[in-house]
Amino acid sequence: MSAPATTADAGHHEPSKFHFYIQIAMILSVITGVEVVLVYLPIAKWFVVTALCTLSAVKFMFVIFFFMHLRWDKVFCTILFFIGLVLAGGTMWALLHIFGADASKPLSAAMLETAHLAIA
Amino acid sequence: MNSHAATIDHHHDATTATGIPNKKLLWWAFLASDCMFFGALISTHLVYRLNPPPGNAVPTQIFNIELTSFSTFILLMSSLLMALAVNAIQRGNVRSTRTMLLGTMFFGCLFLGGQVFEFTHFVYVKKMTLSNSIFGSTFFTLTGTHGTHVAIGVLLLGMMYVRTFKPAQGGGLLLNFVHLLAVCVTFGVAFIWFVPGMIEVVYGASFSELLREHAIPFAAGIVGLIALIALGRTRGAVEFGEKNAIDVEAIGLYWHFVDIVWIIIFTAVYLLEYL
Amino acid sequence: MAEAIAKHAYTGGAHAPVKKATFELFARPTAKTGLVGWLTTVDHKKIGMLYGGFAIFFFLVGGLEALLIRTQLIVPNNHFLEAQTYNELFTMHGTTMIFLAVMPLNAAFFNLLIPLQVGARDVAFPRLNSFSLWVWVVGAILLNVGWLSHFVPAWKFGGAPSVGWFGYAPLTSKAFTPQLSTDLWVFGLQVLGLSSIVASLNFIVTIINMRAPGLTMMRLPVFTWMALVTSFLLILALPAIAIALVEVMFDRNFGTNFFEVSGGGQPILWQHLFWVFGHPEVYILILPPMGYVSEILPTFSRKPLFGYPIIVFSGVAIGFIGFGVWSHHMFTTGLGNVATAAFALATMAIAVPTGVKIFNWIGTLWGGQIMTRVPMMFALGFIWMFMLGGFSGIMHSAAPADAQQQDSYFVIAHFHYVLIGGATFALLAAIHYWFPKFFGRMVPEFWGKLSFWLIFIGFNCTFFPMHFLGLNGMPRRTWTYDSNMGWNEGNLVASCGAYLLGLGIFTYFAVLIWSFFKGKVAGNDPWDGRTMEWSIPSPPPEHNFAAIPTVHARDAWWYEKHHQEEIAQERAEHIQAEESHGGIHMPDQSWYPIIAAFGLLIGTYNMAQLHHPVEMFNKVIFATHLPLAITGLCILVTACYLWSLEGPGGYHLHIAPDGKVTESRGDH
Repeated sequence: MSAPATTADAGHHEPSKFHFYIQIAMILSVITGVEVVLVYLPIAKWFVVTALCTLSAVKFMFVIFFFMHLRWDKVFCTILFFIGLVLAGGTMWALLHIFGADASKPLSAAMLETAHLAIA
Repeated sequence: MNSHAATIDHHHDATTATGIPNKKLLWWAFLASDCMFFGALISTHLVYRLNPPPGNAVPTQIFNIELTSFSTFILLMSSLLMALAVNAIQRGNVRSTRTMLLGTMFFGCLFLGGQVFEFTHFVYVKKMTLSNSIFGSTFFTLTGTHGTHVAIGVLLLGMMYVRTFKPAQGGGLLLNFVHLLAVCVTFGVAFIWFVPGMIEVVYGASFSELLREHAIPFAAGIVGLIALIALGRTRGAVEFGEKNAIDVEAIGLYWHFVDIVWIIIFTAVYLLEYL
Repeated sequence: MAEAIAKHAYTGGAHAPVKKATFELFARPTAKTGLVGWLTTVDHKKIGMLYGGFAIFFFLVGGLEALLIRTQLIVPNNHFLEAQTYNELFTMHGTTMIFLAVMPLNAAFFNLLIPLQVGARDVAFPRLNSFSLWVWVVGAILLNVGWLSHFVPAWKFGGAPSVGWFGYAPLTSKAFTPQLSTDLWVFGLQVLGLSSIVASLNFIVTIINMRAPGLTMMRLPVFTWMALVTSFLLILALPAIAIALVEVMFDRNFGTNFFEVSGGGQPILWQHLFWVFGHPEVYILILPPMGYVSEILPTFSRKPLFGYPIIVFSGVAIGFIGFGVWSHHMFTTGLGNVATAAFALATMAIAVPTGVKIFNWIGTLWGGQIMTRVPMMFALGFIWMFMLGGFSGIMHSAAPADAQQQDSYFVIAHFHYVLIGGATFALLAAIHYWFPKFFGRMVPEFWGKLSFWLIFIGFNCTFFPMHFLGLNGMPRRTWTYDSNMGWNEGNLVASCGAYLLGLGIFTYFAVLIWSFFKGKVAGNDPWDGRTMEWSIPSPPPEHNFAAIPTVHARDAWWYEKHHQEEIAQERAEHIQAEESHGGIHMPDQSWYPIIAAFGLLIGTYNMAQLHHPVEMFNKVIFATHLPLAITGLCILVTACYLWSLEGPGGYHLHIAPDGKVTESRGDH
């Protein structure tokens, strides 16, 4: 399938990225494997969380810049997508902080916590 | 239909003010919008994970992380095939494009089948439903919405696949429609009954019982598959060609986006629960 | 350059031989007039007029709802309306005015003006544009169909929606509003959101990609800039409410617990998701009006816009900061000190770019030759009234003060100053300003000014007293009140003002209708305008521009008026270049957008009443509405599939040297 296109004018096409895409896919699979193994390793929690977030971000970037061609397209496409990404990320971050604040703790959950403390 | 296809530059469109093809710009803007869509949905899930109420489901007792990791791998591979489909059509190779599109759809169906299995398993074995805990509500809605996106992606790819057979001259709309129907039936049966059933078989269920239980859908699926193979052998000039690379690329953007959303869901919803 | 122009817009595919159209279900419609012509149109001007017509209809409906509300409140202990009817009226007044009047009126102007201001023949995706329009109509039907149950008892919708335009949970749960009206409200808003997202994607691509040669981003008319920012706000804000509505829909139909406290849900989440959308929505309503005013003020001050780059930058800044202020609607819910302080600061910060714009408008007026024609009167009214609304807005940003004002008539006064004194004044200015362009007739000055003064005085009489009513403790959404509360005079004045405002609006539109038939014929450029739309005939021909213009300056048309020889030569070259490439390429009309929208109507209307049995002639046909909903979905999918197979199609126009336009189809 990777053979040059059967049409006569194949010579004018840009070079095939077949092998390049396969390599990217292999890297992505390996990262996914590493992620799964990582959560079972007996190492510090903060380290695992950071590593998981970083690895996911790396996968994310690989897909958007190579599979989705951002690397070869006009930079405006990247800007356009990142407007959405940054606003979505910011909104998520703010919501998690608002709901994580003490003032937002639902009474049922708070009671559960005190119950646990009392038992402890 | 286009004799001078070889001169198409897939990264620059001289007819637009920025050089970016209109369709590509539209899809990137849509994906920016979809970021907010999934952002709101993932936020809902995580917000309710911060302070779980008493009696909430416990994720680690419910998840089957091996299966989900496998699904993640499958979705990444489907992204690879999608990228290869775009690569093929940009080089004017319609036959290879068709193969890659079918491959992408097949892997998409594997993923969806995994999700159908997962949902049935959670509901009937782990007793977590949409309504009996807040975790069930947010989990099923989030992953279900993502699954719906994948299913829409498979449908769009199916439409694109069928479109590659549109003849350069003359009619054949009805045949084309039958072809689309065959795609829908085959892939529908595959992800609703066949793939989840096969996963059951892997986990020890009996294959013959599976065949008996879903005899009618499987029969329909086989008819669809035969029709798909028969119609896929159509020869003759088609309208579809290198000039449609932007259409395939646009669907590809959507497909890859669904993949990156899964990358985030896999980390945020599944893996982080195990810490 | 000529090469690039010839390939511009639709001419990209001009070389492809147009094949014999046998691969289709229906013949492609070609009627340009009559019912078929309007239903299948892809012409941005016709779509804009349809948006405008529907929007004005709903603007009058929403106004009527407001007058009923004010009549109920004119005296204490009034029983003119039932309490439930009152709830339906204020819910539908808000929903109608925001989603069915101001937003589509803005969409109408986006459609009418963007292609003309960027020098294009149509929007980037003409059939998608038609789809947005008809999807919007579907949303409007879903929201309003509930009224029918007041007149036809067999239609059991339980009246119009009555949960407030913001539908706060848990009011929307089945326990409190079991009626179908709430389900229809949920689906109606969802469908309207879909329409707005699709339309906005189209406008973003049109503005960024379809600009005429020479039209750099920093030469775009400010209206087009604001339309771009608004479109971004729409595509980024609407997904949040889409999710919130999906969650409510699931809560109501499938027993999820998103907003059910008993199941571990938190109703406050609805408020967050709603306002993540709702606050950018405020800027979605006001940014296009800022654009109209930025077009009108320079024209009638005979000066270029003062501080163009700063106005553009402020608009973008407002759009961006607008995403970080949503929780100021929720100060009284107890967010915690950090969040409250952060959102209060961000809210104060957003006043800065807004203030910058107002100073720039005043700078535009300063030293200009001001002509007080009717559009200018409304634009000046906008600056003043919008500022008043802005001031009370800043008062809200102080969280402790807001705790006193929350849910009182003070808030009503604030946002009506912003939305009537701001958005509506600017829209009325815009309608008056561009009426001659799209209908070819002038509106008489005297009657226009009379309507302005009636509206201006009526508006202030209605809403100024509400500041005092609010600070005296009158709560919003109150059906009636006791006579000993000290609210009698304020309400009486407000209601009388509302009637005057109604009279003013009636005068305004009556004069427009009269002008449509009898108004003085306007030339191409009655106001000595600055932007490209004034360079073409009124009303514009279907292809807009005989030659795609080359833009040389920010006030492109003023430049052309002073460089006529250069422009004439350039135009002749462009026409020749385009003709040598087969003529002006125009997109074909299509049935599929409206069929797809019809499928959506069937699908959503039946999804909304999913669990109710389908009855016909007193017999139960289906146990649920699911089969009908799936039927609608299949129509939608089939229409989209046929749409993608049909292709953009198209035909060519040829302009003879004497200006006569001929049409050609097929091989040329």
